[in-house]
Amino acid sequence: MFNTKICDILDIECPIIQGGMAWVATHELAQAVSNAGGLGVIAAGAAPVEVVRDEIKKLKKNTDKPFGVNIMLMSPFAEDIVELVCEEKVPVVTTGAGNPGKYMDKFKSNGIKVVPIVPSVALAKRLERQGADALIVEGTEAGGHIGELTTMSLVPQVVDVVDIPVIAAGGIADGRGFLAALSLGAEGIQMGTRFVCSTECIAHDNYKRKIVKAKDRDAIVTGRSTGYPVRVIKNRFSKEYIKLEKEEVPFEELEELGAGRLRLAVKEGDIDNGSLMAGQISGMIKDIKSCEEIINDIIKDAEKELNKLYSFKRGE
Amino acid sequence: MEIFETIRGIICEQLEIEDEETITMETSIMDDLEADSLDAVEVMMDIEDEFDIEIPDEDAEEFKNIADIVKYIEEKIA
Repeated sequence: MFNTKICDILDIECPIIQGGMAWVATHELAQAVSNAGGLGVIAAGAAPVEVVRDEIKKLKKNTDKPFGVNIMLMSPFAEDIVELVCEEKVPVVTTGAGNPGKYMDKFKSNGIKVVPIVPSVALAKRLERQGADALIVEGTEAGGHIGELTTMSLVPQVVDVVDIPVIAAGGIADGRGFLAALSLGAEGIQMGTRFVCSTECIAHDNYKRKIVKAKDRDAIVTGRSTGYPVRVIKNRFSKEYIKLEKEEVPFEELEELGAGRLRLAVKEGDIDNGSLMAGQISGMIKDIKSCEEIINDIIKDAEKELNKLYSFKRGE
Repeated sequence: MEIFETIRGIICEQLEIEDEETITMETSIMDDLEADSLDAVEVMMDIEDEFDIEIPDEDAEEFKNIADIVKYIEEKIA
């Protein structure tokens, strides 16, 4: 077993957090991850409050383990979701797509642990100053909306300047990645794509199979020209989108074109016209298994890999 | 005036702007200088350190141009 500060702060057995993926991270997935000893997370995405409230209630009914809610700060309902998680006394909040600073006092006064996702050193320092309990440092290898820096470069740079524990994300899906993250100074990992390919995840089978089938170079980035880059698996839609970007089609038109595409892929299983958000590590994911197996295999493999590293050591 | 010059110096250094004169009281960091929200965070952190003050995000969100920042700092350190 690996016991880190993240286990103590979030009151979990394994320092493995499930990514807050819109449409994908429902109570079913969160329940499976939390019950397996990690931290399951419900993604609020751009969903209205009532939908998220319902998810939280169902999750609470099915687990007594800690869990989290991911708040996408650019959501039109972000402020209402903040109220909701306080009302529901959600144990942990992760945040993405912005700076949660102005809600920090509210979270803290409701006893909620706050773990923002950060893509830069300055924002990491600022959020530590404002009272974040830990940070998720996400590299550009991740799926969905991404930053510029890689996990390999960004994690140690953040670890060097903050005192709160860091959770590495982006490009991690097995025991080697877990151990590498700890070597960089992180005390836990967050995984998204790996948990999409779990039996409990409600994403359409077509979507999961597309990830399993993906090769190393299939995860590409759309939206670079708009300032909101998104990593997806290459398909008809993403190729068309990139073509239009190159033709300098106006931002509004691109935005309209992209609307509803993630839902189309996740719910309807339309893998040609939907947005197949997934990370660079998709090429390594070869199976669909239970969240418990995913977590147990990572811990088991990480222990094995650690022993291998020991064997490289000379002398003594 | 001194506050303005200090802020201008911080912005020029953070955003690698060579000609200080391009920045006036009316300049908006994100609209006029092609800075993104992460650049803005870096500028705010440096301003906080320089003047030894704390600028909560809800206050920072209200800044429309450099003049707003100067006024805010004047009030804080008065």
